[in-house]
Amino acid sequence: MKRRDFMSGSVALLGSAAIASDAIAKVPTAFDWTSMPPLADRQAFVDWMIKSRGEDPLYLGLRYDRFLVMVKNGDLRDDRNKRAFLMTPREAFVLAPNLPRAYDSAFLDINYGVTISGPHLVGRMTTSLDVQKGDKVLEVGTGSGYQSAYLSHLTDKVWTIEIIKPLAARTRATYDSLIANGYTEFSAITTENADGYYGWAEAGPFDKIIVTCGIDHIPPSLLQQLQPNGVMVIPVGPPGAQHVLKVLKTQLPDGTFKIDRSDIYNGKIVPFVPFTKLENDVIVGTHNG
Amino acid sequence: MTIASAAIAAPDVPSAGPRLYLSVGLLAGAVIALQIAIMRVFSVGSWTHFGSLVVSLALLGFGLSSVAIFVGKAWFERHWRASAGVALWLFGPLAVASNLVAQTVPFNAIFLTSDPSQIWRLLANFLLYLLPFLCGAMFLGIVFLKSRTGFGRVYFADLTGSGLAGLLVLAAMYVLPPEKLIAVPLALWALSGLLWIGPARSLGLRPFALIFAALTIFAYFLLPGLLGIPDIAVSQYKGVAYARNFPDATRIYRSISPFGDLQVYSSSYMHFSPGLSDNAAFNLPELPGKSFVGLYIDGEGPEGIMRDPPAAAADYFHYLPMYYPYVLRANPDTFVVQFGGGISTAAALHSGSKSVTVAESNPAVLKAFSDPGIAAASSDILADPRVRIVSYDGRLFLKHTGNRYDVIDLSLADSVGLSNPGGFAITEKYAYTTEAMLDYMRALSDDGVLSITVWNKEEPPKSLLKLYSTVANAARRIDPAGAANSIFVSSSYLSTATVLYRKGGFTADELTKLRAHTSAMSWDEIYSPGFAVDATQGPPIFAQYKASIFGDVGVSPAADPTTSGDTSDPNDAPTPVPATTLTRLYWRALMTGDSALQNQYVFDTEPLTNSRPYFAAYEKLGDLPHTLDRLDLFQDDWGYLLLWATLGVAAMCATLLILLPVGLGWRDIFSRAPGKLGTIGFFAALGLGYITVEVGLISRFTLALSNPTISASVLISSMLVFSGMGSLLSERLFERAKWTLPAILLVIAAMLVGYSLLLDPVLDWIGAFPFALRLLFCFLLVAPPAFLMGFPMSTAMTSLTRLGKEHLFVWAWGINGCFSVIGAAAVPIIETTLGLPAVLEVSALAYLVAIPTFFAVLRPSRVSLR
Repeated sequence: MKRRDFMSGSVALLGSAAIASDAIAKVPTAFDWTSMPPLADRQAFVDWMIKSRGEDPLYLGLRYDRFLVMVKNGDLRDDRNKRAFLMTPREAFVLAPNLPRAYDSAFLDINYGVTISGPHLVGRMTTSLDVQKGDKVLEVGTGSGYQSAYLSHLTDKVWTIEIIKPLAARTRATYDSLIANGYTEFSAITTENADGYYGWAEAGPFDKIIVTCGIDHIPPSLLQQLQPNGVMVIPVGPPGAQHVLKVLKTQLPDGTFKIDRSDIYNGKIVPFVPFTKLENDVIVGTHNG
Repeated sequence: MTIASAAIAAPDVPSAGPRLYLSVGLLAGAVIALQIAIMRVFSVGSWTHFGSLVVSLALLGFGLSSVAIFVGKAWFERHWRASAGVALWLFGPLAVASNLVAQTVPFNAIFLTSDPSQIWRLLANFLLYLLPFLCGAMFLGIVFLKSRTGFGRVYFADLTGSGLAGLLVLAAMYVLPPEKLIAVPLALWALSGLLWIGPARSLGLRPFALIFAALTIFAYFLLPGLLGIPDIAVSQYKGVAYARNFPDATRIYRSISPFGDLQVYSSSYMHFSPGLSDNAAFNLPELPGKSFVGLYIDGEGPEGIMRDPPAAAADYFHYLPMYYPYVLRANPDTFVVQFGGGISTAAALHSGSKSVTVAESNPAVLKAFSDPGIAAASSDILADPRVRIVSYDGRLFLKHTGNRYDVIDLSLADSVGLSNPGGFAITEKYAYTTEAMLDYMRALSDDGVLSITVWNKEEPPKSLLKLYSTVANAARRIDPAGAANSIFVSSSYLSTATVLYRKGGFTADELTKLRAHTSAMSWDEIYSPGFAVDATQGPPIFAQYKASIFGDVGVSPAADPTTSGDTSDPNDAPTPVPATTLTRLYWRALMTGDSALQNQYVFDTEPLTNSRPYFAAYEKLGDLPHTLDRLDLFQDDWGYLLLWATLGVAAMCATLLILLPVGLGWRDIFSRAPGKLGTIGFFAALGLGYITVEVGLISRFTLALSNPTISASVLISSMLVFSGMGSLLSERLFERAKWTLPAILLVIAAMLVGYSLLLDPVLDWIGAFPFALRLLFCFLLVAPPAFLMGFPMSTAMTSLTRLGKEHLFVWAWGINGCFSVIGAAAVPIIETTLGLPAVLEVSALAYLVAIPTFFAVLRPSRVSLR
């Protein structure tokens, strides 16, 4: 065995051992699309989630605090996205050493040179996609699996592709473990270890596509697999200061397609929000998360 | 009670034969070689700028050693041979151990603001690498103290050894990969140690010393494998780490040289089509598919190398932004300013160019393309009969050639900055300066087209606006009245932007063709002659951009979670994105001379010049304090912000080290040595003056030598060797130093001012010669000031010795070292804020300050009478 293979294998093993999903307990109540956690009160939310999902009150509290900041910043703009954020256990998708910072607004390392995006970016980007139940959504760059987990609370048809084999395997294992614990909504996620550049022709076309890996152009296959009037979003730039490119595909009367590039802010110049946190009911800007 | 004493008898001098000088020279060489080798470790493993930070701070070891020797001066004098020997012999094993342990605590720059543990990792790296430098500095300091009456000679050995080691490391980079480069300082250290022991004194120790040295070197080579620690812990976030993660990745080529560790990986997962029009997806029957391999230099990249696309994808180049000039010119003579991975050259060849002259200043890249595997991967592009290769800087070639070209292409050149957003680097971009643009424009045929394609992935735009300012600046200088008719700009949001300059102005027919092409590609027209923009949008949009970055985000009440914080509909129809409107307004301001609006932009948008050839350092000076609570927004400029941090930390540490001897109760000792403040001033000025010349000239000489590594090696070596000679000769002038040294300092200052004003044209002239001659000319150009700059330090140190001010002697050594660190950190800040010539002016000022303060050094000691 080559030394590099051995080392990357060892790292994968360490990584999979270190992922936090094993800590998630069995879900006491079966998943239901109509269930909605209380939004207005922190304690009511925590109590409801303990009762229906059996999650750790520590992370539930942190999740709710982050939720308040995200609503304030316009990262979550409708009840479906608020519910998706509140129902997704982010702590199950971060590495164990990062657990205390699972709900910081910062992006975090997940090994292999890949990060899990900050919750604000995931919320803002997904909200702008306006995913409806039944929409077919493709994610290129599974990474930690958090993005697709969030999506699975918006639609029951999610496909996700990861190029790095050990990472794809680790995330698949995370989903399997969560599903076994009662997170049946994650069964809607179909995963594959492949080159996302070519999309997933057999599963397409897709209503929405999220590309979360670095590229110097939009892969033509993805533009082809996007439904007419479909939307694609791609974060561009260094982590922490990413801007989200929004691509709209429209079919013209002559049958040809037109691609429009814009951003997710509809022509507004939106303040860059530095890493923020909630302290005593006020949102505080800080670069330390 | 004290009385003035004219002079104190010289102290006991140890026998200082050639063996001691050689030992000092070799160890000094080992110190500089280790410095360069560690920088290479950081370049390949993580990020060069943190290497500079760690190494420059580690050099504070010289200040620390001065304090230690100061504290135990009497002890060190009594046990000088043993203590210097121990310090010397520890240098090697500590270099090995520090480097090895440092690989187990790698830190990652991108998590520096979000992960508190990263700062501790950075500190650990600094402390680890400090250890060998501290030992080296202790050895040199002790030997200097003991040899102080013959300081000129031992200082000559120190400088010459360092200088020659610089050249040795440069040569070694051709045979040793970065992960083995510390072998060079280890070899120098081992030789130094063996010479130090000496045959006459301790024959019995020699075999042990030999075994110890051999074991240390073996440990360097073998321990990483035995302990399972990587030779160099390569960050998972380096470009090459991603390639290695691809299941079918194979390294098909590697070459090592001072031009970098160049590796080429082949994988079916590589896809390069920089700036490809989105419309290609629906118009090309087939895409190039698996036609690419990726080129990485020091792990950064990839730069795509492609073979000819399949026949069905023959039209592929039409959809790339570098195709623009060929919309206007059918069979041009084309010049490609930087070959890189060759995609621009391929576009030129596939678009009907009848000849393509390609320049590439990195010989390692050209060598790679002569490898059969890479030649095949590029469809043997350089063997095409239409291709002519210029093996040096395209900018310099165009400056001196009499040839004229129909198309000159500068596409995504360089591996950082504009071509790679988030490039982090403070690097001189001479290919993008106003002077370079003028050279390109002048080398165009009468209706020739200059085409510049860059990345447009910054939001808000930064380097892009600097580029726009630069092109407009050059166009106006060539033809003030016709500039507005000679420019066409198009961009694709968060993809690429292309600026076309047409000599003599675009015709109506040409504009029609360009607009049709822009529309067919779904790109945005940003500027063209007569392009209409609503100017009233300017002030509000510029103000909003400023607010988006520096608006108050401190504290706000939490929201009502049952309502929405933002009511806009995500399905609103797309409107022109603000950045597109902004760049249109910016071009309008450029062409109408509305500098008031330009200055309102949130970032600095001054044009690049040979004096300030930087895209980095885009923050306005007054805004720097406001970046502190939002550092994550400035990740692409951390290289620059880090310089301020380095300067701050260096200044704090240096102040502490300089004041420590005073604070620890040596006022008594100092009270017998008058002129302390003046002496501090003198050695601080020398430390600052010398290092600013050295580091400042490295950036300037890149203009002629095209490569910062080569420039650094030539500068370090020539400066130190010639200064060593000056130091040696200074002994002869010592008796008349009171008069001669101020004169020498004055001449140095005058020379530096002269160099600051006249260097550019001379370097441009040198740049056109073959490489060996360029090296020789640069060597000779450095010689006169460097030679003179060797005089002051040794003269002053000898003066302190002769006057019996030994404590000041040790202290001065430390002050000089500390200010060297401060100076090295200050140079890039001066360069980016005031411009390159200002560096030599600061150095000149430092040497002028040294004139009056030198008389303080000469003030005789007061001796206590009891």
